[in-house]
Amino acid sequence: MINMAFCWLILLGRAVQKLVFGELRVSEQQQLRDKFWNFVFYKFIFVFGIINVQYIDEVLLWCSWFALLGFLHLLSQLSKDRFEYLSFSPRTPFWSHVKLMALLAAIFALSGFMLLVSVFVGFFGGFNTFAFMSAEVVLLAIRTLHIIIRYALHLYDIRQESATAMNTSDEGKAWEKRGPISYYTELSFELTALIIDLIHHLHMLLWSNIFLSMASLVICMQLRYLFHEIQRKNYLWVRNHLEQNYPMATTEELQNNSDNCAICWEKMDSARKLPCTHLFHNTCLLSWLEQDTSCPTCRMALNIQTPSPTQMEPPELQADPQENTRRPFNHFFHFDGSRYVSWLPSFSVEVSHIQAIRQNHVTASNSQLDAMARQVQTLFPHIPLSVIIDDLRVTRSVELTIENVLDGRLVAPPIFRDLDINQQTSRPLTLLQSNAEPSTTRNWDEFSTDNVETEDTVMLGSRFSKSSSEREKILHRRKENMIQMARRRYIEKQKAAAAAAARSDLQS
Amino acid sequence: MAGSALRRLMAEYKQLTLNPPEGIIAGPINEENFFEWEALITGPEGTCFEGGVFPAKLIFPPDYPLSPPKMQFTCEMFHPNIYSDGRVCISILHAPGDDPMGYESSAERWSPVQSVEKILLSVVSMLAEPNDESGANVDAAKMWRENREEFNNIAEKIVRRTLGIPT
Ligand SMILES: [Zn+2]
Ligand SMILES: [Zn+2]
Repeated sequence: MINMAFCWLILLGRAVQKLVFGELRVSEQQQLRDKFWNFVFYKFIFVFGIINVQYIDEVLLWCSWFALLGFLHLLSQLSKDRFEYLSFSPRTPFWSHVKLMALLAAIFALSGFMLLVSVFVGFFGGFNTFAFMSAEVVLLAIRTLHIIIRYALHLYDIRQESATAMNTSDEGKAWEKRGPISYYTELSFELTALIIDLIHHLHMLLWSNIFLSMASLVICMQLRYLFHEIQRKNYLWVRNHLEQNYPMATTEELQNNSDNCAICWEKMDSARKLPCTHLFHNTCLLSWLEQDTSCPTCRMALNIQTPSPTQMEPPELQADPQENTRRPFNHFFHFDGSRYVSWLPSFSVEVSHIQAIRQNHVTASNSQLDAMARQVQTLFPHIPLSVIIDDLRVTRSVELTIENVLDGRLVAPPIFRDLDINQQTSRPLTLLQSNAEPSTTRNWDEFSTDNVETEDTVMLGSRFSKSSSEREKILHRRKENMIQMARRRYIEKQKAAAAAAARSDLQS
Repeated sequence: MAGSALRRLMAEYKQLTLNPPEGIIAGPINEENFFEWEALITGPEGTCFEGGVFPAKLIFPPDYPLSPPKMQFTCEMFHPNIYSDGRVCISILHAPGDDPMGYESSAERWSPVQSVEKILLSVVSMLAEPNDESGANVDAAKMWRENREEFNNIAEKIVRRTLGIPT
C-alpha cells in the first residue's frame, strides 16, 4: 500500500514536470538532487533522532507525511529556479508564465490543506506534534507565497514595460511604486521564514533532550546559520538611519538634477539626498547600503554604526549545503572611517583617467577620422587613406597631418614586392586574398573597400533595434566587421614593415 | 532583483550600441539570457597587444548592479593580471566587501555607478599597463618585469591567434 502511494507520487511528479517545466536544465537537476538528499537527511535525523519513534506505524506515518511535504518543497524550489531563469530572459511565452503560476497556486492550496491536517492531528496528538508538523507546512506556504508575489510583481513589471515602451516618462513612476513594494515583501517574507525556521529548530533542540548527540549537533549548526541570516537582515536599522539623517531631495533639487539614478539608470521622481549631495532612489540606495556604507558615486563614507556586534566571522556556508547557493553578503556594516581618507586623491586620478580615454573616443570616433582623412586625401591623392588615418589617430588634427605630409614625414608606402617579403609575412596575405596579385593598384582598391566597411560599421553602430533578433544580428555583424578590420589593419602593418625592411636592405 | 537588473542591462546595452567606445563591442551572447555577455576588446595601440581583438565573457549576478559581474577572456591570454583560465583580476571587479589581496582601497572597487563600459575601458588600460601588485599570473608578471622582449613575443603570438593569422 505504502509502496503504491510512493509510486503514485513519483508518477505525479513526472507528470507535473512534463506539463509545466518540460526538459529540466542541468543546474535545476543538480539543485533538485541536492535538495532531495538534504531533505531526506534532515528528516531521517528528525524522525529517529528527535521524535525517537518506537513503532513501525508511526515511522510510516511520519515518512508519508514528509514524503508529501518534501515533494511540495521540491516543486516550489523548482518553480523558484525556473521563475528566476525565466525572468532572466526578456521574451518568454505567455503560457509558461500561466502554467508556473497555476502550479505555485496549487502548491499553496495544498500546503493550506496540510496545515488543516496538522491541526487535526495536533488535536489528538498533542501540542508538540502539531508544532512540528505545522512549522514545516507554514514554511512551505510562506516560501510559495513569496515566490508568487515576486512573480506577480515581475509580470506586472514586464507589462508596464511593454505598455510604456513608447513614452518613457511613465516608466519612472511605475518603478517608484514597485520599488518599495518588492523591497518590503522581500524583507518581510525572508524575515518571517527565517524566524519560523529558527523557532522550529529551537523547539527540536529542546524537545530532543539529547544535547550531545549527532542530531543536536546538526541542529545547532543549522541554528547558528539561521541566526546569522537573521542578523544580516536588519535592513530596518539602515532604513531608520537613512530616514533620520538624510532628507529626501526637494522638488527644486530634483529639477536641477537632470541625471538619472546612478544605480538603476532610471529617472528620479523622488530621491534621497546624501550629505555629499548625490541623489539616488530611496530603495536603490537602501539595497546598496546593505553591502557597503559609502556613497556609490563618490565613495564618501556614511557614518552608520552597527547596532549589534556583526564583526563576527562570516558563517560557514559549508555547514549547510542546502543554502550553498545563497550569495554571501560580505562584511555587512563592516566599516572604518579612517581608511577612507587616504584614498581620496588616488580615486580622483582614476576617474579623470577613464574620462580622458572617453573624451578621446568621443572627439575622434571612426566616422570623424574618416571624414578628416578624406579631407587630407583631396589635397594629397597619392597617399593611401589608411596611412592618413593612421597618422590622424596620432595627431587628431587635419592641420598637423597636412604638415606631416608636407614635411615628408608621411610618405606613400613603396611598391609592394613579393620577392622581398619573407615567408612569415607573405603567408597571411595569401590566406586572405588568395588571388590577389600584390601590386599597388590592388592595394588601393582594397583601401577603398575598407572605407565602405567603416561606414557600414558606423551605420550599424548608430541604431538600436526594437526587435531582439535584429539586435542579435546587428551585434553579430558588428563583431565580425571588427575582427575583419583588425585583421586587415594588422596585415597592412606587416606589409609596411616588411616593405620598410626590404627598402633598407636595398639601400645597404 | 532580476527585474531591475534586466532593465539596467538593457539600458547599458543600448548605450554601448549607440555610442560604442572605440575598439569595444559588447552585448548579450543570446538574448534569451541577458545575464551573459560577450565583449570584444581591441588591444590598445602602442602596446604589445596592439591590433589584437580579444573576446571575453561577462557573467552578471541577478542583483547587478549591486554586485559586480565576472569577466573571463575566452581566448588565450598572457598578462600579469589575467589568470591562466582567462579570469580578469582588476579592482573594479571586486565587491567592496571582499578583498582577496588585502591591499586594495575600497575606492577602486565595484560600486553601482560603474558600468560595463567602465569595466571594459579599465581592462583596456590594464592591457596597456599591467598592475604589478596583483599577481594573477606570476609567470607573466615576472616576465613582464625581467624579460620584456619575450613577453612582447608571446603577446604578438596571441594577437595573431585572435586574428586567425597563422604564427
Ligand atoms: Zn534608482
Ligand atoms: Zn556622493
